Amino acid sequence: MYSNDRLLEIFQRSRSGKYMKEVEFDLLLARRVQELVKEYNITFDPNNVCPADDGMADRVFEAGLKLFMDVGAYHLDTERVIKFSREEILEALRKAPDTLHLGEGRDMVIARHRNIEDPNPPLNLTGPAGQPCSEEHYLELMISYAQEPYVHAIESGATLTYNGYDIVAGTLMEVKAVQRDAATAREAIRRVGKPGMHIGDAATGMTAIGKMAASEPINLLRPCDGRLVAQMCEMKVNDDQLIRVPHLINYGSHIINLMTPLTGGIGGGPAGVAVVSVAETLLGVVCYFATYHYLSITHIKWTNNSDPWGMYVLAMTGQAMARNTHIVWTDDPFCVNGAGTLENLYEVAGHAIIGAVCGYQQHGVGSTGGNIVDHHTGLEAGWQGEVGIATTLSGITREKANEIALKLLPLYKDTFNNPKLGQPFHELYNTQTITPKQEWQDCYRRAKETLSKLGLTFTHGPYD
Amino acid sequence: MNGSSLPKEIADNLINALKLGDKEAAVIATQHALDQGIKPLSLVQEVIVPTLTEVGKRFEDLDIFLPELIAAGEAGNACTALIEQAILKSGSQMQSEGTVVIGTVKGDIHDIGKNIVTSLLKAHGYKVIDLGRDIPAARFIDEAEANHADVIAASALMSITRAGCRDVADLLRDRGLKDKYLFIVGGGSITQEYSDEICANGFSETGSGAVELVKSLMVNKRGA
Repeated sequence: MYSNDRLLEIFQRSRSGKYMKEVEFDLLLARRVQELVKEYNITFDPNNVCPADDGMADRVFEAGLKLFMDVGAYHLDTERVIKFSREEILEALRKAPDTLHLGEGRDMVIARHRNIEDPNPPLNLTGPAGQPCSEEHYLELMISYAQEPYVHAIESGATLTYNGYDIVAGTLMEVKAVQRDAATAREAIRRVGKPGMHIGDAATGMTAIGKMAASEPINLLRPCDGRLVAQMCEMKVNDDQLIRVPHLINYGSHIINLMTPLTGGIGGGPAGVAVVSVAETLLGVVCYFATYHYLSITHIKWTNNSDPWGMYVLAMTGQAMARNTHIVWTDDPFCVNGAGTLENLYEVAGHAIIGAVCGYQQHGVGSTGGNIVDHHTGLEAGWQGEVGIATTLSGITREKANEIALKLLPLYKDTFNNPKLGQPFHELYNTQTITPKQEWQDCYRRAKETLSKLGLTFTHGPYD
Repeated sequence: MNGSSLPKEIADNLINALKLGDKEAAVIATQHALDQGIKPLSLVQEVIVPTLTEVGKRFEDLDIFLPELIAAGEAGNACTALIEQAILKSGSQMQSEGTVVIGTVKGDIHDIGKNIVTSLLKAHGYKVIDLGRDIPAARFIDEAEANHADVIAASALMSITRAGCRDVADLLRDRGLKDKYLFIVGGGSITQEYSDEICANGFSETGSGAVELVKSLMVNKRGA
């Protein structure tokens, strides 16, 4: 099936598939997930958040594949279910790329499929990751990410205003803001001497119009950059998301399948959410023609994934996809604590270690659950990359990753209900020189010392 | 159920069906109770509201997950619809704690938080008109007018869509309806500061907080 044929088929099925109210789909999905968890004997043990269990990883994959076949994708606009056969899903999976060229020129990086305990370190494709940003410090903030030595790509944040005015989705203000933010991201990578660096998205764009407005190769996003195409929780698509696909294919751009499966949500507990996460990845392969995937596990109450549930979903879904597919995919640490706190760096580290041994390239970081304006910086994003590399170079196994993650957990878990929000970017950095202030650098060094004691061997870091 | 005036077996059947989210069994239990001459309002006040409140609390504590909350809410809706018919047939009117019109604002399609608030408000005895997602400002107000609502609740997860809340606030002011409705906001992109800036009557970060907010605003409104 050629790509265009598949797109047309998706459109037809979105108009002719079984009609169902959304709540019926939710409850059907929830019920089927629980049946599959039982049938495939997928278990969660809070003392083993990174299981070294190849058999269970394969069962998670099979259960996710079966879930997608049985339940399909729900189209929110037409209220119809789009279904695919096993053969169709596996054919699309076979055609999905295993190697990507991200960015251009000497700053281009090659992202490959990673295996469990892969000896090749993960790439760190980071940035504000859709977190709210003020326009006042936006360029300096983006530079703080792009300049980090262990950062290989940036993704823009979501600015709140344009010249002081609210940005309204679906209006000319959204288009203006997206164009400004994409241009700012380009300016940031030029300023740090990495003009060819990959830019993962223009996150201020909420609608297809906004996202597509960033397609302009001279000043805005180039074909070597990417755009997110998102799923709604869980396994839901709509026309606004699907519209982006033919545009991005035609533009030659990377398509990034964004999934935000909720732990405690429709998938239920961690075992069920691991199954849903596999199904959503397959949905992104089939419906979105994703070149790479972005798993952003989200706790329904704390909007983080640094808790045991989030870590388990990360570990099991990663291993399932690493063993059973050749796709390239990423994950992001979402933390309850904000930049400027030691706890934030521990949350990032636990997630980065498990992600590095379970087949992911890196994305993120999200701080304060992605809620507080400007409470995120380049430092914690670079830290994620540094931890990922240290994990790989130290030969960390899944068992060891579990041990370290569980030792880190007590250092921050008491903050889940009462997060430390830290400080905004402009208070943590000298915004003239764009360097972290002493106190934020001290946190970095203390976190590094802790991680070294737990078994990670670091190479030289930017704030040693 | 302590202090319940209902026969235990009848109450237990409905409680169990609601807790399990078994819509069919809940409707059968409700019909059976009505057939036995149980007062419709007693079923609502002594069984449905407290049971759904307990389910909501268990979800807040993450003893149960979202599907259980949704299923219990759906079962509760089906029972309430049946009871409403019985009340109307008797020539009376269904009483509720108040009517809330709720939706996610224009451009925002993220509605999990809004759905949780909807379920919890229903569990606490409010009549909720759920407009769904991506709702233009004018529709919030038109629906509030049509349904004689007390509260308009607007949700925005994304920072770029939160201006939709301001649109609702501005339109309420421009149509001269600001004092007629309680306007509350919530969602990931909303802060107390933003709520104050757009002159909303209240803001909550959590689902249970939203229920408490509505309760306290309604008390003030009725006391005013």
